[in-house]
Amino acid sequence: MNHRPIDDLARNAFVDGELDPEQQQQMQAYLRTHPEQAQELAGWQRDAQRLRASASQDSLPPNPALDPTAVRARLRTRSRRRVAMAASLVMALAIGGVTGWSAHDTALANHVLPMQDAMQAYRLFASADAPRPDVRANANDLQGWLDDYFSHAERLPDLSASGFKPIAARLLATDQGPAAIVIYENAGQRATFYIRPPGPGNQFLPQGSRRDGDLLARYWSGQGYNYALVTSGDGAASQPLPLPSAVRS
Amino acid sequence: MTRPVRMPIPGPVSHDDSAPPADELSDALLRQLLPRLRRFALRLARDPVSADDLVQSTLERALTRWPGRRPQGDVRAWLFTILYRQFLDSQRRARRYARLLDWFAGSDAAAPSAEREAIARSSLDTFERLPEAQRALLWLVCVEGLSYKAVADLFDVPLGTVMSRLSRARSALRHLNEGQPGEARLRILK
Repeated sequence: MNHRPIDDLARNAFVDGELDPEQQQQMQAYLRTHPEQAQELAGWQRDAQRLRASASQDSLPPNPALDPTAVRARLRTRSRRRVAMAASLVMALAIGGVTGWSAHDTALANHVLPMQDAMQAYRLFASADAPRPDVRANANDLQGWLDDYFSHAERLPDLSASGFKPIAARLLATDQGPAAIVIYENAGQRATFYIRPPGPGNQFLPQGSRRDGDLLARYWSGQGYNYALVTSGDGAASQPLPLPSAVRS
Repeated sequence: MTRPVRMPIPGPVSHDDSAPPADELSDALLRQLLPRLRRFALRLARDPVSADDLVQSTLERALTRWPGRRPQGDVRAWLFTILYRQFLDSQRRARRYARLLDWFAGSDAAAPSAEREAIARSSLDTFERLPEAQRALLWLVCVEGLSYKAVADLFDVPLGTVMSRLSRARSALRHLNEGQPGEARLRILK
């Protein structure tokens, strides 16, 4: 007697009034002979009614934020903001990319050691067995000759305080145009003044110095050119050369 | 002797014909359904403010999804489904957050929810004491009159499972209501 003669679907459908008239009659006939179940299902029906009654008693204060028009407007604003944000993101990426790329270029250019060509020119033209220079004259002639090629450049540095005197000069060629080396001499010791157009990317040099092997180069920029004073480290290091700032008038 | 009564599966009968299948999720339709959504949300969240938050996110999701994923049948059932899933998501988030707090603070951060549970248990409304899945099921069937099929879809379970769960939920509610003074009655045995 304990087995369930009716299934959950029938019981619930009866409670919810989902049965068609014939099924309803069958069910009622069944429940007449099973008062316990009839009582249980009646309880279910009362609970459902009670629930429905509680729904109608809900007090729902008006909430304008929930009105569909307001919700739609909010969604539109949000999507507009999202588009704007995406656009600014793309913009930021583009700016960052371009900046990064040019920074990369600058870094590449910076990677070239400053005034390396001045060092090489010293080794080539200021050594003992140097090739014959273009000009061999006194200081005034050299300045005039230099002005022919580097119209507004700084004047030749006056190293006479250290005993160095310009004795010769030679014209050179670089990627960016003409360069020149002027050779100074002091009792067999040599120093060179090197002038060249700024390097790739129109780079001017901060004032500085650099040692390469036995050579010391001081370099600086001004008047549209880069300059270097190169001395051989052994002898000239003890001979204080004038600082480029002192050279610049 | 007991004669088994076999019942065919009832068709998806809706108690409420106010929500026909719609071609457009119009403001008028939404406004009409809004009180039902708010009441359902209130039964789930048990707190008016979080209930309205739930309704708001439901409406936003429904409006966003409508162009691509409009429901085949009852718009109302579709909206209830979205709302219920949103509710489950928020519950899950809250639990995760509580666990996180627990983990960081080393204290029992889950305490507030236990406290809330206790308050709910002492509540006069016996319905509020039921687990959330039973609350949702009973509400949708008894009050909203959703078809058994629609409810099965909402919970993503077979129809038979819905029917047995519904019986269990009704028995549970009956049991709670019998404990109420107004409903007290002698029941020797079942």
